[in-house]
Amino acid sequence: MSMHPPDPLADLPWPKPEAPSEAVSARICGACTKNLCAKRGLSAASRLSFCLVVSGLMASIGYWFGVRHHRSELGLRTGVYSAVAWGLVQAAVLFIAFAPRRGLLGSRSVRVAVAVVLPLLFLGYLSYAAWSYVPFAEFAHGARASHAFSCGLIALGVGAIVGGSVLLAWRGTNPLTPGLSGTLAGFVGGIGGALAIGIGCPSHEAWHLWAAHGLIVLALGLMGFGVGRRLLSP
Amino acid sequence: MERYVDGEAEAFEFLYRRVSPNLMGYLLRLTRNRERAEDLLQITFSKIHRARGSFLKGAPVLPWILAIARRSFLDERRSAQVRTEDLSPDGSLPEQQNEERPLPAELSDALDVALGRLPENYREAIVLTKITGLSVAEAASVLGATETAVKLRVHRGYTQLRKELEQYSRTS
Repeated sequence: MSMHPPDPLADLPWPKPEAPSEAVSARICGACTKNLCAKRGLSAASRLSFCLVVSGLMASIGYWFGVRHHRSELGLRTGVYSAVAWGLVQAAVLFIAFAPRRGLLGSRSVRVAVAVVLPLLFLGYLSYAAWSYVPFAEFAHGARASHAFSCGLIALGVGAIVGGSVLLAWRGTNPLTPGLSGTLAGFVGGIGGALAIGIGCPSHEAWHLWAAHGLIVLALGLMGFGVGRRLLSP
Repeated sequence: MERYVDGEAEAFEFLYRRVSPNLMGYLLRLTRNRERAEDLLQITFSKIHRARGSFLKGAPVLPWILAIARRSFLDERRSAQVRTEDLSPDGSLPEQQNEERPLPAELSDALDVALGRLPENYREAIVLTKITGLSVAEAASVLGATETAVKLRVHRGYTQLRKELEQYSRTS
């Protein structure tokens, strides 16, 4: 018959919580209760509205740009319809990413799932919206590439404004998932930028859409991850 | 927390008394230095004070506060990496801590030292679940990891802790 040695982890004297020193406690209590008044931040609905207004403003600039450059009425109308439809998606994503909810909708796993599905969905939409296709070698050399580059830069700038407005609206509110929510803010910004430029941009070539309108969504998502960790946590 | 958000000073003091020992214990285990832990405690409470308006009504308070404390610790460590070394009070460079010193004779001290020798992610998972008393789900939300990852870290941490403490069992 063998004797099992006692498990050294069973019934261990785990360290007890320790109170801070009296001086530190007095300093903290003094600082936090001095002129204490009620403080309620902006509601989630107000923050959400602010972000959607900024996104809508950027889409309006895209529309103005398209009108100024004599884009076809059909192209403008299609761009506006898709901006409105994706605006609803943006609102839903922001609601999931930031609105203070408990339970399944506020859970980390739902946010991860949205962060995976959203860019794929948008790239799928761009593929669907592409009416023409040229071989990559033809796209990469010549005027098409420079057009895509300038288009992408503008979309990146516009997307950064939209994504920045999201981070600004929700700054310091999310200590639990700042990186993840920042990524979603970046995706929302990227989609806002891509749609705004999509209203004004006449190109429906697949490589152009993927490179100039699609890649910025991923780029801004990555940037949102880094910036969100700094800005969203209190 | 909600009464504190509504501006009641007594509510803050009550919250502080309830939360600060757990928070201090967590920060002590992260920093392994009482002064740094107390500095971080003050930074954490000043952040809580500024961000109190964004606290979700009815949400668990401790994970929210611990997540802010953890972020404060990581920020402080990042800035310390580019800071020059502070001299000790007598003007000399501080000596490196010898991590390989033998475990103390007292079991509670031995456990504390053994905890300090664990890799940081194992230690954090054990401290949050075993000492701070969070559930696995709450610890996962503080650490920004999945529940499975937290369980795995706790398990691996236990295995390593057991090895360390076997040395204690043999010597005592």
